Amino acid sequence: MIRKEPRLYYRVFVWSGTLRLFHWTLAFSTFILVLTGIYIHYPPITTKWAEFKPQYIMATLRYWHFCAGYFFICALLVRFYLFFAGNQYERPTDFLPINKRNLQSLVHNIKFYLYLTDEHECRMGHTILAGTIYFILFICGVIMGLTGLYLLYPETPMVARMGHDLFGTPQQARLIHYLLNWFFIFFIMVHLYIAIWNDFKAPDAIISGAFSGSKMMPADLECPIEELEKIPFEK
Amino acid sequence: MSNNDHTKDFVGGGVSRRTFLKGCALAAATLGLSPDVVPKMVEAAMSPKRPPVVWLHFQECTGCSESLLRSARPDIATLILDLISLDYHETLMAAAGKQAEENLRNAIKKNTGKFICVVEGGIPTKDGGIYCKIGGRTALDIVTEVAPRAKMVIAIGTCAAFGGVQAAKPNPTGAVGVQDIVKGQTIINIPGCPPNPENFLATVVQILTYGRPPELDELGRPKFAYGRKIHDHCERRPHFDEGRFVECFGDPGHKKGYCLYKVGCKGPVTYSNCSVERFCNVGAWPVGAGHGCIGCTEPGFWDTMMPIYKHLPGIYIPLGGGIREQAEKIGEVAVGGAAAVIAAHAAVGVGKKIFSSVKGSSQKKDDEK
Repeated sequence: MIRKEPRLYYRVFVWSGTLRLFHWTLAFSTFILVLTGIYIHYPPITTKWAEFKPQYIMATLRYWHFCAGYFFICALLVRFYLFFAGNQYERPTDFLPINKRNLQSLVHNIKFYLYLTDEHECRMGHTILAGTIYFILFICGVIMGLTGLYLLYPETPMVARMGHDLFGTPQQARLIHYLLNWFFIFFIMVHLYIAIWNDFKAPDAIISGAFSGSKMMPADLECPIEELEKIPFEK
Repeated sequence: MSNNDHTKDFVGGGVSRRTFLKGCALAAATLGLSPDVVPKMVEAAMSPKRPPVVWLHFQECTGCSESLLRSARPDIATLILDLISLDYHETLMAAAGKQAEENLRNAIKKNTGKFICVVEGGIPTKDGGIYCKIGGRTALDIVTEVAPRAKMVIAIGTCAAFGGVQAAKPNPTGAVGVQDIVKGQTIINIPGCPPNPENFLATVVQILTYGRPPELDELGRPKFAYGRKIHDHCERRPHFDEGRFVECFGDPGHKKGYCLYKVGCKGPVTYSNCSVERFCNVGAWPVGAGHGCIGCTEPGFWDTMMPIYKHLPGIYIPLGGGIREQAEKIGEVAVGGAAAVIAAHAAVGVGKKIFSSVKGSSQKKDDEK
């Protein structure tokens, strides 16, 4: 397939500052949570039996884990708020496969990722595949937050009741917390790869968009023009 | 020895008044009460109106009774036998056969709404409960008859509280704890395998003194005994915070008394006062002896806390006839699988690009020709 070159692109503003704040808070807190979490789960020996110097390492890393956990929970709260109060691309109706248009887009997405088509669908918001995975990640994040709070405050009556009703004993919550951790690691790997891959394959410049909040959209027929016109252009 | 005739009478000469008072003070301390209540407790404990107790045995190993008999600070067995009027206890009573069953019937009839029902052991419910029968009646029958007529029920041991070992998957007899069968009755769970007898004693003394059960948690366990994690009061906790762990049993860390977290100690998720109360009058307890906690006071511990020497239970994967894998394996598979898929995906992309560029250039050459 031969692409029409040169093509005219507009820089359009998609992601609000709040969403980007959510994204990077979640990204950094997840990064710290995963690293410290792996240490907490399987602490490698750092003392060599000699007790060379006091290090207080488990206590320190646990403290970082809890701090990062609070940032993580705050990020999720922000995202939850944006589900209702965000711009049209930040609401679940835009990126979940709940109508015919989105379902078609999802099928197209999957084909694109499987190299079955070279035709990139220029969408203003998340692609449907990405949006669905992000939504699942959000649910997993909520479960992580709740199991985490249960493990941190098992003796606070309200938290204990919540945790006991939802997850059972702390040991069961701990297992869920641990298994979902691998989903997050899996997600980070795939997410980074797909973002880089898309930067090669597609013209929207999504990596810089994660900072600037804008996307590059072609001005010709392939993108939904009626949507494009509604968007205020940035420069 | 005291000159108080009543005390002498009451404790049957087996226990000195001093020992008796010490017992009451200990019970008060276990409950977390002030020493001011000790006289009240003594009064309650010495009251000639001893509450009748019916002790039922079902699917169990009698370990809870055994542990109770071996409690020694101060001779709690004697204290318990004199504190309460033990009307029915299959292991301890002299009566047998028809006579024993008669005792049970009389005790219930005479003391309806007044006696304390102690249940030891799980109750099978499958196939009408035929897997545990006493005197020709199923455990299910007996507990549904006796427990609702009691003042309150104490489920002693993990079996009576949560089903215990016989309720472990696949739970062939459908065993459950008392709380799953008897509804609308005050049930106090004293889980453990076996539970610390002092927790049982303290609960009984609390009931005698105040006529009501101690404060309970979501699982019906008294908070004074099961309100804190073992980990929080563990003598090895500083080693945990310092990142000093036993790697395997018998290594230098083990000899130095490091934390047993990495060899599967379930202290961080187990609620009990073992690390404070200790056992057997000698200050001994599992973690102190160099073995991790196995989490025996938690419901379903035979399923969720196994394997004993790992943090987390195996995961049942319903593929290829079912494999029980270590939780760590899941992570390896997730990360390894993701890396492999990513590499394959990238390789296909690069391959396709090379292929199309070769094809494109040959096409160009064809066009030039």
